[in-house]
Amino acid sequence: MRESIRMVVVLAVIAMVSGAVLTQVYNYTYEIIQANLVRELEESVAEVLPNTVSMEILAGSAELLADNGPDDEDSILVLEGYDEDGSLLGFAYVTQSPGYGGPVKVLVGVSLEPYEILGVKVLDHAETPGLGTRIEEVSFREQFVGKTLDDPIELSNDIDSLTGATVSAAGVVNAVRDGLPRAIRTYEGRR
Amino acid sequence: MQVRIRTLVRGLWEDNPVFRLLIGLCPALAVTTAATYGMAMGLATSFVLICSSTIVSLLKNVIPRKVRIPSYIIIIATFVTIVDLVMDAFLPDLHSVLGLFIPLIVVNCLVLGRSEAFASKNTTMASIVDAIGMGIGFTWALTLLGAVREVFGMGTVFGLSVVWDGFVPWTIMSLPPGAFISLGVLVGLLNVIGRRLSERS
Repeated sequence: MRESIRMVVVLAVIAMVSGAVLTQVYNYTYEIIQANLVRELEESVAEVLPNTVSMEILAGSAELLADNGPDDEDSILVLEGYDEDGSLLGFAYVTQSPGYGGPVKVLVGVSLEPYEILGVKVLDHAETPGLGTRIEEVSFREQFVGKTLDDPIELSNDIDSLTGATVSAAGVVNAVRDGLPRAIRTYEGRR
Repeated sequence: MQVRIRTLVRGLWEDNPVFRLLIGLCPALAVTTAATYGMAMGLATSFVLICSSTIVSLLKNVIPRKVRIPSYIIIIATFVTIVDLVMDAFLPDLHSVLGLFIPLIVVNCLVLGRSEAFASKNTTMASIVDAIGMGIGFTWALTLLGAVREVFGMGTVFGLSVVWDGFVPWTIMSLPPGAFISLGVLVGLLNVIGRRLSERS
């Protein structure tokens, strides 16, 4: 009996100490991690929405960018980009779709009306090195530039696929296509 | 003192976790696509190993035998979570590559193995020395494995190009089969070298 109580007490105390330490570390690192995500996003937005110097998040949270963030396809982050004079350049959205090794997260920059895609960047993926990772290449990504809601945005239709990486390419294409109308709706709803 | 040095050196070569004991191979194979990643994984594992060995050896008379494994796992998991959070906060680029594999250090049999086989039976000082030796051994093994795969798979070492123009990278070396091939060849080579050395002495 005494031994069982001792077992329970020791294990409980170890677990409590562990919990207390981790709470402290988590609280300490949380804001730094969030700030990292936002800074990373700002740098990326400038690539898909040229001349952006500041941004404002309209919907969603930067947690979508975290490795352990939500992994559903409904999550979307929409933000506006401004140039150095403070005038609105357009908006950008982050969304994801399943690839070959996990969700493929894309960032898409869209111009003001008539809502033309200005640039696409793959933020995060777990695709096969050498094959699926080619979705990051400029030659693949620039195929999306100039697309609008009226375009099909479909593999082997108006977007050329990547040899040996069809599933990875489809992840990008699906995320871009499915996110576009939703991002436009969010953007217009906020205007 | 001499015993301490022996304990330290053992992890480097004689009982090298990866090349001799063949333990902790899951992360050794998974993350060693480049030398930098191998080294970072090795250092992260070393940190966890040293911290948890210290705590386990301090608590060895407090923890009842029957609940020792769950106790060790909680201690190890605590340090792993700390590494995970701190790396995410201060080394976000590295974390985006290794992030998936950091939580797996919890079940790395090297860490639990040293707690169970060494730290729970030895003094704190000896346990720390043992953990440092094993940690360095694990780190150099992963760095070497990563460097070999990086040279053939990408033509670089630590991100610096080391091959002639027109070199065609062997993509397979960056993929999982390349990990097994490299590990097998390295273990074989090191066995030959080890035998030569012991014959000579």
